Amino acid sequence: MGKLQLKNLTKTYANNVKAMDDITIDISSGMFGLLGPNGAGKSSLMRTIATLQEPDSGSITFGDLDPLKNPKEFRKILGYLPQEFGVYPRISAEQLLDHLATLKGVSNKGERKDLVHYLLQKVNLFDKRNKSVKGFSGGMKQRVGIAQALIGNPKVLIVDEPTAGLDPGERNRFYDLISDVGEDVIVILSTHIVDDVRELCTSMAVLNYGSIVFNGTPDEGIHELEGRVFEKKIERSELEKYTQNYNVISNRLIGGKPVIHVLGEKPDEDFSAIAPSLEDVFFSKLQG
Amino acid sequence: MFKQFFFSELRYNLRQPMVYLFFFIVFLLVFAANSTDNVQIGGSIGNVHRNAPHVITTFTTVMCIFGLLFAAAFFNNAALRDRKYNFQEILFSTPLDKFGYYFGRFSAALVLSTIPLLGVFFGIALGTLIAPLAGWIEPDRFGPVQLSAFVSNYFLFILPNMLFAGSIIYMLAHRFKSTITSFVGALIIIVAYSVSGQFLSDLDNETLGAMVDTFGNRTYGVISKYYTPLEKNTFNPSFSGLLFWNRLIWISFSLVVLALSYMSFSFAERKTKTKAEKKQHKKEIIDILKPTVHVGKESFGHQFFSFFWINFISIYKHVTFRILFLFSIILLISDLISGFEYFGLQSYPLTYIMTDSISGTSLFVMIILVFFSGELIWRDRDFRINEVVDATPHSTLIPLFAKTLSLFSLTISLHLFFVFMVVCYQLIKGYFQIEFSTYFFHFLYNSFPLYLVTSVTLVAVQVIVNNKYLGYMVSVIIILGLDIILSIMDIQSNMLSYLGSPYLIYSDMNGFGPSNVGVFWFNTYWIIGAFFLLIISGVFWARGSVTSIKERMRFKQGKLNKRYLMLVSIVGVVWVVLAVFVYYNTQILNSYKSSDALEKLAVNYEETYKKYKDAPHPKVIEAKYDIAIFPYEKAANISSKLLMINPYDRAIDTLLLNVSRQWEEEFNFPNASLVKEDEKHNVHFYVFDPPFVAGDTLEVKIKTSYRTKGFANGGASTSIIKNGSFLNNFQILPGIGYDSGKELSSRNKRRKYKLPPKDRMPALEENCGVNCMENYLTNGFSDYINVETVISTSKDQIAIAPGSLLEEWEEGDRKYFRYQVDHPSQNFYSFISAKYKIAKRNWEGVDIEIYHDKKHGVNIEKMLDAVERSLTYYTKNFGPYTHKQCRIIEFPRFSTFAQAFPGTMPYSEAFGFVINLEDEDKNNVIDAVIAHEMAHQWWAHQVVGANMQGGTMLSESFSEYSSLMTMKSIAKTPMEMREFLKYDHDRYLRGRAGELEKELPLYKVENQSYIHYGKGSVILYALQDYIGEDKVNEALSEFLTAYKYTTPYPTSLDFLSYLEPKVPDSLNYLIKDWFKEITLYDNRLISASAILMESGEYEVTLEIEASKIKADSIGNESAVELNEWIDIGLFTDTDEKILMHQKRIHLTNAKTMVTIIADSIPAKAAIDPRHILIDRVYDDNIKKVKID
Repeated sequence: MGKLQLKNLTKTYANNVKAMDDITIDISSGMFGLLGPNGAGKSSLMRTIATLQEPDSGSITFGDLDPLKNPKEFRKILGYLPQEFGVYPRISAEQLLDHLATLKGVSNKGERKDLVHYLLQKVNLFDKRNKSVKGFSGGMKQRVGIAQALIGNPKVLIVDEPTAGLDPGERNRFYDLISDVGEDVIVILSTHIVDDVRELCTSMAVLNYGSIVFNGTPDEGIHELEGRVFEKKIERSELEKYTQNYNVISNRLIGGKPVIHVLGEKPDEDFSAIAPSLEDVFFSKLQG
Repeated sequence: MFKQFFFSELRYNLRQPMVYLFFFIVFLLVFAANSTDNVQIGGSIGNVHRNAPHVITTFTTVMCIFGLLFAAAFFNNAALRDRKYNFQEILFSTPLDKFGYYFGRFSAALVLSTIPLLGVFFGIALGTLIAPLAGWIEPDRFGPVQLSAFVSNYFLFILPNMLFAGSIIYMLAHRFKSTITSFVGALIIIVAYSVSGQFLSDLDNETLGAMVDTFGNRTYGVISKYYTPLEKNTFNPSFSGLLFWNRLIWISFSLVVLALSYMSFSFAERKTKTKAEKKQHKKEIIDILKPTVHVGKESFGHQFFSFFWINFISIYKHVTFRILFLFSIILLISDLISGFEYFGLQSYPLTYIMTDSISGTSLFVMIILVFFSGELIWRDRDFRINEVVDATPHSTLIPLFAKTLSLFSLTISLHLFFVFMVVCYQLIKGYFQIEFSTYFFHFLYNSFPLYLVTSVTLVAVQVIVNNKYLGYMVSVIIILGLDIILSIMDIQSNMLSYLGSPYLIYSDMNGFGPSNVGVFWFNTYWIIGAFFLLIISGVFWARGSVTSIKERMRFKQGKLNKRYLMLVSIVGVVWVVLAVFVYYNTQILNSYKSSDALEKLAVNYEETYKKYKDAPHPKVIEAKYDIAIFPYEKAANISSKLLMINPYDRAIDTLLLNVSRQWEEEFNFPNASLVKEDEKHNVHFYVFDPPFVAGDTLEVKIKTSYRTKGFANGGASTSIIKNGSFLNNFQILPGIGYDSGKELSSRNKRRKYKLPPKDRMPALEENCGVNCMENYLTNGFSDYINVETVISTSKDQIAIAPGSLLEEWEEGDRKYFRYQVDHPSQNFYSFISAKYKIAKRNWEGVDIEIYHDKKHGVNIEKMLDAVERSLTYYTKNFGPYTHKQCRIIEFPRFSTFAQAFPGTMPYSEAFGFVINLEDEDKNNVIDAVIAHEMAHQWWAHQVVGANMQGGTMLSESFSEYSSLMTMKSIAKTPMEMREFLKYDHDRYLRGRAGELEKELPLYKVENQSYIHYGKGSVILYALQDYIGEDKVNEALSEFLTAYKYTTPYPTSLDFLSYLEPKVPDSLNYLIKDWFKEITLYDNRLISASAILMESGEYEVTLEIEASKIKADSIGNESAVELNEWIDIGLFTDTDEKILMHQKRIHLTNAKTMVTIIADSIPAKAAIDPRHILIDRVYDDNIKKVKID
């Protein structure tokens, strides 16, 4: 199967926010994690790939297909779960999926019914299929969302921040579902949770202010930082001093005291070297 | 706490634009209505001051209904704003004072909701100030600005009405916490209001109707219905009488609602309903294998249907839809079961009456369409499923069309349901002639285009505007506002008015013709136009996450495939072709003038030709017509031979002819030649050479023909149609001489164009001599003449002309009839052709014939009886009938009237023929109308008044009187007649209240129908009660004998000279009071009590109050000395059916005590128990008798 190639994608919104700034990535089959803080442009990129908005410039190709020029063909092989997946009121889960399956070209009524039942069972909602989706909990709704994204064996599956608002159990079930799709499928997963990528993705990119600041496998990222990340527990009052003097990539509280990670040469004896995590990769990339 | 909430709510809203916007809307509307005639609120202002208290009250009460929507906004906000901003949990957890919160907010909303309505007052005040200065309206049309009227309107209507609406909306908002429900609540109030109006459709229920009117609007209408202009200019509505009770009822109601909702209000959140989830059985583990699925090429049909269905069920399951649906059903049912047409009677549930009822629900369907057009277009985005749907491979036009279709299908299912309901109603009523074809064509011509075009247009509007609320606004402007704009711009083309088409009316005789062709093309034009708009709107369809128009359009660029462009151009071309075709037919083939242009033309005509008003003109003394009607071609050829005479003592040298715009006319005047043709006013001048000398006669030949060409903007002529052609002699001949009927008649319009006031009818003269040589019917162009007609029509029809049928023959596919009048008659004829059944009866040598549609046979026997009864009474009491036949001829319901021509009486199918009289053993509308028209065979056709004041008394008053007398002749009790007199009383009192010029005494009536029908009949009826039926009829008969078929024509004074000798001296005052002056009574019964005497009889004591009032022509009234004979009476029953005792007593004092001995117990007592005197308020004449 073909690669999804994004070339020089640029998009500036009316309020002068640069949502995409010359983005070029190749995505091949498997899970691709798109990591970035809130507002980095993840959703804009996802929507652009999902043919829901157009870049100001740049191109996308998937095999011999140009999704920008011929969105209809690309939509046939696309599965998309947007960040906010809403549902119609007064419509049952089965009706909704049936509708979406029809739109995706499953025209045979019997096949469609089987497919919808299969997917509902898969997302563990078969017994609730006649209930109005509007009354579902966030996790249940998200499961309907993934069910719909899987309709029609998509070659490209885009899931935007799928685990926001899910409890840990639901999150795990959700990932089980996604990792179940075929190996030759491109799955693009956008998230701001580093662990998601760590656990699932074979390759990843970090997006900040609309541009790609890292592109590679998680291991590559970690490998790059090997031996260059140091940790120290400090007093709160010292935080400012350290930030000024050292390349602090992250700090967090452990037992009420800040623990800082510093990138670069070992500053002094009180710092201890640690094995870099993907989170360190993420933060270091954000700092550029 | 109260104060804090009150003021903070007030302050918050006063900083928002909404209240000012609403105020401005009201202000602008009222200002426009006050200072121009183009905008009207609650009917035209008429003859009263433009800022009269009556006008202020009318404006206020009407605007209050609009005000409901403002109220909904303010009260809903007051209740739900905290919730909207998710603030309620914070606010409600503070130590709030419930009373202060609840009522503080409420009171502020109440005050706020009345602010926009102050726009009425400002509009009036500013109009008063500006309109005269700007020269829009004459200064004397304004009176002083009456502040007291503003104050009383505020407290009588605005505040209580907003309180009423507010209490309900506030309750709903707190209870349901949904803005939609609040607005639906407002809608419900409007519906309840319109339903309560049904109670008012008959006089009997007037008081009930006045009580149940939630806004006091119609209550005020009932109170003011008999107000004279003077009273309208000066009377302020006040807390008294009906209005007091009405206001009391509804204010109390509001307070109860408010109190109840306060008690049930709590800060605690209502528990959100959680259906107890049924404990799931350990469900069987089913393992569905992943099916093999063929994701083929996406199927247009499947996708379309799926979109359609998911949208259809979402509307159908929507609460708002269900509520609106329910209310349209309630409206339909109330329309079916209530509402009387004539004299408390209803028609059979004919299919066309049912379809009219269905059309009455279209307002609701339109509301549904407006609301759900926005809902449908926005629901994907509102529920955030748009991205998923948009990312599926479907063509953008599919959801666009599917959504439109789902909206349209919904209206279709509603319509089908309504049809089902009314068919059930017909069956329940035992009416089995259900005409499904009528239902079908009604749907095809009316509902289908209305709903289809509206669905399509509103969806397109929502897509293009791309903002739900702005879209709603644009939708409402298109549907309602467009016509206002067009009327201001004086554009009348139906091609621009939303869904404009000629007016289509169904008739049992003629089906949906004759305008159906025009309606069809207009509808096609609108439907294709709407589709064009919809397809175009596809370009603007927001797919994906794009918002601005530029983006939306750019997003589509390059994706506009060839097929789409083909579609756009094909539909566009078809639409343009249609538009050109409609334009050609309505503007070129059948051109018309706008109302402003017509007004100017009338002014111009008057200015140019008025000088010929008194020019001599010949009189017609004999007429021969050769008429060929082609009903299926909608055409007619007529050739007329008129014998004319110069009745003057000088020669006639020129002749002014008013020719027709619709008819082709060709004139052949011997010795006369056309010298001037004024195309603008359709006036031709002929000059006689040699002049037409005095006393000479000449034979004039006129050929006229009519062809229907294409279709017209305003609809086709209803004169010549498939079945039921109806022409009169004025239509088929040119008018001779200056026609003052073409002048502008509205006093205000005449002022606007600086024309002098319109000539009044010539003043009544004694010994009028030569001025009595003209009658008011034919205006001096003929007297009693002989007429012979050959009339032909298609073979399957019967054609009727005046007089006896002498011959009848067929030639080819045509049928010919030759008629001749038996006695020279007024030159006032009708020519009719239709497929008829004829019911015949012979009465003493006179053929009574009723020409009717085969479907309308049910009341024919009753009609024959009524004709016979009239002939009997009139020949016995007035004089012989002069024709050999007496025809009633049914014509299609394009108009609703009956009219008397010599020997023939055309009678509309809409009333009489289809009225349900099964339960009527008494007199009814048919008897009344037929007796009236029959009486015209004497009063109008044997003797007719000279063309001066009082003329119509001799025909219309006498006929209406005669009609009452035939009914009296078969009435079983004296009380039965009161039911019929009631309508004549009402007609008079209402009419004088609406008088635009001036009211005159009966003997000087100037063709004012409320006087000659209403007052004339009541007075003559009362007179025969006072002096005896024989005496009045003797006077009539002697008068008739003296003047029948002769000239000069008589005047009302001539009649009075026959009447006066019949009146005893003691009652001589009646002639003066009733005929020569305007006299009203104000009688009432103060109390009535009875004591059982030892003899077993009852002594009944009545305390009565009587007064006699004289009114002048503008309504100034003054009480005059009382010296009257008035009846008092006792009823055995409370229904006032049996008058057990009646006595005529002489009253000279305002207050009198009267004692009557009754032999059994009376239930009610009354002054003037049979209502024969003109009493402004009759209700207070009757009281229950208190038994001591």
